[in-house]
Amino acid sequence: MSETVIVKNVFKKYKMHRSPKEKLLDVVLPGGYGEDFYALQDISFTAQQGDVIGLVGVNGSGKSTLSNIIAGVIPPTSGEVTTIGTTSIIAISSGLNNQLTGRENIELKCLMLGFKKKEIKEMEPEIIEFADIGKFIDQPVKKYSSGMKSRLGFAISVTVNPDILIVDEALSVGDQVFAQKSKNKMFEFKEKGKTIFFVSHSMGQIKEFCEKAVWLEYGEIKKFGPVKEVIPEYEKFLKEYKSMTPEQQKKFREKVMQKQKGLAAKGI
Amino acid sequence: MKSMITIVKEQISSFYLILRLSAFELKSANTNNYLGRLWEILNPMIQLTIYWFVFGAGIRKGREVPMDNGIDVPFFIWMVTGMIVWFFVNPAISASSRSIYSRIQLIAKMSFPMSAIPSFVIMANFYTHLILVAVVTVFLQFTDFKLSIYFIQLPYFMIATLLFLLALALVTSTLSTIVRDVQQVVQSVLKMLLYLTPLLWQTEHLMINGIDFIFILKLNPLYYIVEGYRAALLGTTWYPAEYPQLTLYFWITVVVLFFIGSVLHLKFRNRFVDYL
Repeated sequence: MSETVIVKNVFKKYKMHRSPKEKLLDVVLPGGYGEDFYALQDISFTAQQGDVIGLVGVNGSGKSTLSNIIAGVIPPTSGEVTTIGTTSIIAISSGLNNQLTGRENIELKCLMLGFKKKEIKEMEPEIIEFADIGKFIDQPVKKYSSGMKSRLGFAISVTVNPDILIVDEALSVGDQVFAQKSKNKMFEFKEKGKTIFFVSHSMGQIKEFCEKAVWLEYGEIKKFGPVKEVIPEYEKFLKEYKSMTPEQQKKFREKVMQKQKGLAAKGI
Repeated sequence: MKSMITIVKEQISSFYLILRLSAFELKSANTNNYLGRLWEILNPMIQLTIYWFVFGAGIRKGREVPMDNGIDVPFFIWMVTGMIVWFFVNPAISASSRSIYSRIQLIAKMSFPMSAIPSFVIMANFYTHLILVAVVTVFLQFTDFKLSIYFIQLPYFMIATLLFLLALALVTSTLSTIVRDVQQVVQSVLKMLLYLTPLLWQTEHLMINGIDFIFILKLNPLYYIVEGYRAALLGTTWYPAEYPQLTLYFWITVVVLFFIGSVLHLKFRNRFVDYL
């Protein structure tokens, strides 16, 4: 087994601005301006070939930021991400052009992913078959239902055959039949030794798919390990969090907000 | 220098992509209209009519425009041969400076050079331009200004226009992604340029307090392009050779813009997503 994704000391810092004036100062001043907000702090882990890794955490814990950084959509503020092979990210808003038809979108997206015309012609029937949206393939995407959009997006992303696949809550929109189909496809990928990152709030799906899990808590890795160890603990935390009084919840959030201002980031 | 080479390489390596993407761009722009791409011709025609009415029939009272070689050109023909550039440059500049921030969410997830985004937006406008040039050329055959040997300057001026637009777009698209207000500046400057370029009114001298300010109008790179198109279509002069200083000035402007644009673009492009 070789390593496919190496994430090393990754930080992602955003600046918070209260007014357009502060935003402008941030652009103009060499040191930047504004309150720091760390969406990710000191994230390090490695993923092997054939790993299916679940990313869990409550809202705002940095799951999407991390998956976008692994996919190379956004750059980390500091730290290093090494990916071996091609990456493909599937998110709910799958980046289709609403004015164009499904078929045109397939060509457009594959072109932008760097495929040649001939390769696209070969992949097209496979994508249409997988998406299974019938006559709608020649309709503009704006007429699609949200399920159809995500099916087409998913179909394109899996057919281009990436080495590293990142699924960001995209399975939650499709119906049962499509979810099953997607699952089968992902199991197929797993067997081929691809690396899959899976972001979901459904513990059932995580337990079913993943062998490993990363639990993110407010930008930091709380725990990384086999699903059997991480998920029960996370579920326990969720239960505790839910049973807290509103005051306690508020206190907890304030504590982590302090953390995300960068107190834990003394290294930089 | 290095950044200029990087951008040039990216443009060449993604040339096929730029052509394909610009075709999609055109398609998606026109799907909502019943008349579709016909609007690309109808729109300029309507505008030309009103400009001719106000500036030609109204302000100029139908007087003809004298050209360099002593020939008088009817105002309408003079205006059309210049406005044809404007109908390309105006939408291309405003769309290309919008190009990166309006598409970044679609495109950030893709593995292709971001410098190709303004290029394909410009190319999409260029197709329309070619059609308009063809229409105008055919129209001119029914006037006194038939096709002449001077017409072969036209490809030179088309390439000059494309390179100028690309260089400018690298600057404006980067800046407007970082500070969205730049788009508003671009729009206002464009509105001014319509009157500061020899498109609707023509003058040889611009005397204010005894000083000739015509040189200020010539600082506008579009001056060179518009007059060049006119020389080619009306067959008046070999424009680039007749005005070597203007030619030199134009190309220096393009190179400087391209230099600034590529440095800015490469400096900020990794962080474009953060500016949304």
